Amino acid sequence: MSVTDPNAAPMRETAFSVRTRRWRELSATILSNPTTVIGLVIIVALLAMAVFAPWLASPNTPDPYQMPRDWGAVRMPPGTPGHVLGTTNQGGDVFYGVVWGSRTSLQLSIVVVSVTVCIGIAIGSIAGLVGGWVDEALMRIVDVFLSIPELIFALAVAAILGPSFSNIILSLCIVFWVKYARIMRAQIILVRQADYVKAATVIGDSKFNIFRRDILPNAVTPIAVQATLDMGNIVLVGATLSFIGLSESGIAEWGVLVSEGQAGIASGRWWASTFPGLMIFLWALAFNLVGDGLRDALDPRTEGR
Amino acid sequence: MTSIETPTENPTRPAIARVQGLKVHFASKKGPVHAVDGVDFDIADGEMLGLVGETGCGKSVTGRAFLGLIPQPPARIAGGRILFRPRRREDTSEDTPEFRPCPTCKGADIVCATCNGSGYDTLDLLAVKPRTMRAIRGRRIAMIFQDPGKALNPILTIGDQLAEVFLQHASADLLADIGGTGDMGGLAAGAVGRAARQESGRLDGILSRVPPVRGHLRRLRAALEDRIAAALAETQISNPRRVIRSYPHELSGGMRQRVMIAQALACDPDLIIADEPTTALDVTIQAKIMELIKMLQEKRKTSVLYISHDLSLVRRTCDRVVVMYAGRVAEVGGVREVFAAPRHPYTRGLLDAIPRSGETRGVLASIPGTVPELVSPPPGCRFADRCVHVMPECTRVNPTLQPLTPDQSVSCFLAHPPAPGAAHKEPELQET
Repeated sequence: MSVTDPNAAPMRETAFSVRTRRWRELSATILSNPTTVIGLVIIVALLAMAVFAPWLASPNTPDPYQMPRDWGAVRMPPGTPGHVLGTTNQGGDVFYGVVWGSRTSLQLSIVVVSVTVCIGIAIGSIAGLVGGWVDEALMRIVDVFLSIPELIFALAVAAILGPSFSNIILSLCIVFWVKYARIMRAQIILVRQADYVKAATVIGDSKFNIFRRDILPNAVTPIAVQATLDMGNIVLVGATLSFIGLSESGIAEWGVLVSEGQAGIASGRWWASTFPGLMIFLWALAFNLVGDGLRDALDPRTEGR
Repeated sequence: MTSIETPTENPTRPAIARVQGLKVHFASKKGPVHAVDGVDFDIADGEMLGLVGETGCGKSVTGRAFLGLIPQPPARIAGGRILFRPRRREDTSEDTPEFRPCPTCKGADIVCATCNGSGYDTLDLLAVKPRTMRAIRGRRIAMIFQDPGKALNPILTIGDQLAEVFLQHASADLLADIGGTGDMGGLAAGAVGRAARQESGRLDGILSRVPPVRGHLRRLRAALEDRIAAALAETQISNPRRVIRSYPHELSGGMRQRVMIAQALACDPDLIIADEPTTALDVTIQAKIMELIKMLQEKRKTSVLYISHDLSLVRRTCDRVVVMYAGRVAEVGGVREVFAAPRHPYTRGLLDAIPRSGETRGVLASIPGTVPELVSPPPGCRFADRCVHVMPECTRVNPTLQPLTPDQSVSCFLAHPPAPGAAHKEPELQET
C-alpha cells in the first residue's frame, strides 16, 4: 500500500511541532484579550520581583524572610531616604517587606494550589472512575469538608496546628482540595461517557491508556481555570489567616505586614499596611484576569475561531 | 461449543457470527425494560447484513453487545450467546488462550467444514475474559460510530488517534516496516520494541535521545505515519498527510467519518459493526460514505453489520436484512426477497412508509399506533396492537422465527399458522 497522493506534503512537520501548534493557537487566543495580557504582565512582574529580591533589597541576616529592625528609624513616612515606602512600628522597611513578601506569598499560593490540585485530581478521578461505594464514601467526605466554610475550617486547622507560616500552608492544603475533587469527579463522569472514549475502548486500548489520553486531558480544563483563579484567592485567604495572627510575627509576608500595620492606620500611618495590601490586590487581580481569559480560550465553543 | 441449528441458518454461506437468543434488560424504576428480548440471527462470512428497525427497537444494543459495550448496570445480559468465529491470520501473537483451535480439524485444515478453514473454534463474546475482549476489539471486530464528531478525541490530532490502533495491534508489522530490530544493538532493539508496543519506561526517555536509538525511533515514527497515511488514503480522503496533522474540529463531518472508517479498517478486522454511520451526516454525503464502506467491504471480504433505520441505504448496500421490532426479530432474509415480498406486517408497514418519487402528494404513510412499552410486555406478538391482520392467537402466543424459504424467515402467524394446541401454552414456557 503506497500513497500516491500528489498533494502529500513531505514529512517536515514532526509530531512535536503539531503539539506546539495547539499551544500556539491557544496562546494566540489568550494574548488577543487585552485584560488577560495585563494580568500576565502583573504576574510576570511579581515573579520577577520574587526572583530578583536579593538585588532589589539586600537580604536581612541571618534570616532574609524576617523583617529587618531599625530602631533608629521607626514609623518613617514614605519617601524617607533609605526607606522609599516608609517603615513600620518596629522600624521594618516596608519596601523590604513588599519585595521579600512576594517570595513567601507566591510560595504560599504555588505550593497550596499545586498540592490541592494534585490531591483533587487523584481523589476526583478515583471517585469518578471506580464509582459505586468508593465514589459514595469519597464524596461524603467531600461533603463534610464542604459543609464548613473554607476560611473558618482553614482557621480552625491552623489554630490547632499552632501559629506558623508553614502551618498556614498545611491547613490550606487540607481544606482546599475538596473543590477540585468535586469538579474532577463531575468532569470524569461526563467525559467517560463521551463517544471518543467508547471509540478508544473499541480499538482495544487499555484502560490506563484511555484514562491518560482520552479522559484526563479532556477533563482537566475546568480545573486549570479554577486553579488559576485560586492562585490569587489563596494569597487572600493566607493573608487573612496571617492577619488574624496565625503566622509568626515579624515575618516578611504580605498578610502579616497588613495585619501588623493596621494599628497605625487610625493614627495616619497608612503606608505600613497599604503597600503590602496593594501587592495582595495585584496578585489576586492578575490571576483573576488570566483565569477569565483562560476560561474563554479553553471554552470549546470558542475553539477553532 | 458446537453450532446449533437455528431457523435463520443460511445454508449458502458459513456464519462468522451468530446471535442466539440474546436478551438484554435495562433496570428502570418501573422494572426491567426488555430492550432486547430473544434475538437470533447470523452474520455470514463476507456479507453485509442490515439491521433495521425504529428507534428503541434494540438494534444498537444488539450491535454494542458484540464488543462488550453494554454498561452493566444499568443493563443486564439476561440470556443468549453471541458466537464469533475469528478468521485465520498469519499473526496470531495477540490470540489469548480463549482462542481455541477448531475441534474438528485442530486448526490445521483449510478446507475443514466445521470452521470453514478459519481454524478457530467459536468464542462466546458475552462470556470472554476482558483480556480476550481487548484482543478482539479493533483487531477482530471494529466499530464505526454514529456521530464522527463525538467519536474523535477533540484534543488529539487525527494522526495521534490513528496511531493508537497500530501501536495497539500492529506493533510487529511496524517493526517489520523498519527492517526489524535484529541489526540494532541490544539496548536499542529493546527501546524501539517497547516504543512500538507503547511500553516505554523512564529509561527509554533517556535512551531515545541517544543518536542511534533516536534514528531508529524516527524511522519507526515515519513507518507509523506511512501506515496511517495509507489507511486514510484508502478511504479516499483528500490529502491524507495534511489530515494526519489536523484536529477533529478542523475537518468536515464526512471527512471525520472517513477517519473513523480508516480507524475501523486499520487492522483489517473480520467484522465491522457500523452503528448508523451516516445518521449524523448530510444526505449528500450519506450515500458516498455507504458506497465507500460497501466498496472497502467487498474489496477486503470483511463482514459488516450495518445498523440503520434508512431502508433505502440498506436496500442499496446490504446482502441480507434483519428487521427488528420492539426487541425481537420480525423478519430476516435476502434484501431482494424482503424488499420485494415482505411477509411480516411490520416490514410491510416500514416499506410502505418510504415516500417514493412520482407519487402524488398526500398524507405520508405510517404505521398506526406506537411501540409497546417494554417494561412488562404483554404475551404474544409485540406487533399485535398495531397489526391490521391481528388474530386471537397473536395476543396469546409469541410467534417464533420460522423459515419460509431458504432465503427468508419470518415470525408471524400469517406466514406460519399456529400449531393446534399451541395457543394454550404459556409464553414463558416457550421462551426457555
